[in-house]
Amino acid sequence: MQSIVARSAIRSSKGFRTFATSAARSQAVPTEKPVVNKEFKIYRWNPDEPAKKPTLQSYTIDLNQCGPMILDALIKIKNEIDPTLTFRRSCREGICGSCAMNINGQNTLACLCRIDRESSKDTKIYPLPHMYVVKDLVPDLTLFYKQYKSIEPYLKNDNPPEDREFLQSVEDRRKLDGMYECILCACCSTSCPSYWWNQDEYLGPATLMAAYRWMADSRDSYTAQRKEKLQNEMSLYRCHTIFNCSRTCPKGLNPAKAIAKIKLELATE
Amino acid sequence: MSAIVARSAFNRRLANTFARHSLRPASQQVLARWVSSESGYVPGGPIYKGTVNDPTTFPPPSRTHGSHHWAFERLLSAGLVPLTAAAFVTSGTNYPVLDGILGISLVMHSHIGFDAMLVDYVHARKFPILGPLCTWTLRATTVAVLVGVYQFNTNDVGLTEFIAKVWTA
Repeated sequence: MQSIVARSAIRSSKGFRTFATSAARSQAVPTEKPVVNKEFKIYRWNPDEPAKKPTLQSYTIDLNQCGPMILDALIKIKNEIDPTLTFRRSCREGICGSCAMNINGQNTLACLCRIDRESSKDTKIYPLPHMYVVKDLVPDLTLFYKQYKSIEPYLKNDNPPEDREFLQSVEDRRKLDGMYECILCACCSTSCPSYWWNQDEYLGPATLMAAYRWMADSRDSYTAQRKEKLQNEMSLYRCHTIFNCSRTCPKGLNPAKAIAKIKLELATE
Repeated sequence: MSAIVARSAFNRRLANTFARHSLRPASQQVLARWVSSESGYVPGGPIYKGTVNDPTTFPPPSRTHGSHHWAFERLLSAGLVPLTAAAFVTSGTNYPVLDGILGISLVMHSHIGFDAMLVDYVHARKFPILGPLCTWTLRATTVAVLVGVYQFNTNDVGLTEFIAKVWTA
């Protein structure tokens, strides 16, 4: 140790640049950021007190002590202010679809939605619209998953190739682009007014796009049966091309286009 | 957790009451699918058919209510564009057939539109009395309007002429 000090002393005397040795420079001083307080108004409902009406609860946090996304703010609130705040989250990077919620009137993933840094305006967070609420921001997606299951979202083919895998041309594979990326966050379905009024019978954009994803698959041999299922008044034809689904999709997909293709294929078969 | 169980038990009781009530006007076969002994539509609570792992079911397939209805609706809407344009450039008195087709298509177009609203908002599964009532009112109105248009086109100046007169009046 002594020798190092001695050496650096020699160097500095020779005019070389040396590592900082003074106490003031050895410790990084955190830069003082201004406090940017932002108000978040979050939907609260507790199933343990079913008689109490849902309310908007207000939380104020300093944006400079928080990550850039809404999910960061929610986690900060849950960690530091109110541990009873309930929401789903998992991957924090927009691939699991858990944190779908209604933020400032738009269904989106909290992890992909930036906090508006305008501190004079509050940010309102609600659960996905027109779903039964389990607690706070957690909607009941049981029916959504049951509907997804009803379209048999898996490859059905009675004659698989014997000695090798299914082969698919590049063009056929390209038909699935823009559909296979769906993460089933339910943002689109719960933004659809038709799904709001008739969700017990109408499948909704997410499920219909998944249905078309398997109809369009060249390896699937049950296309006719899949189409036949949708030949009724409610399952498909409650879509009135409102386009809320395509507008809201946090993954930038286009469920309305898939539904339009199903309608065209059903009409022209 | 216990609250949720209590809630769903309450809903089931509601469902049963609802099912018993809605079965009374037994005229609708449509209802049979929705109001069964095990499940029913209940305002205010999720009643799932089967377990959470069972997929939802589909109504029996019918092309009349499915693709044919949709294709007819779209072709009719597209057909109304040249028909309306033709009504502008010709006179209804000289082409009574054109006037008649326009009258029928317009009425059918609006019938399909109103019917879509009824299916969306007052479906028989949710409104076992009001739903069918609205549907039959709409059907009766459509027939009455068709008769009226026929009378007006044969005994009076006809649609196109009438609208032209109102426009310039």
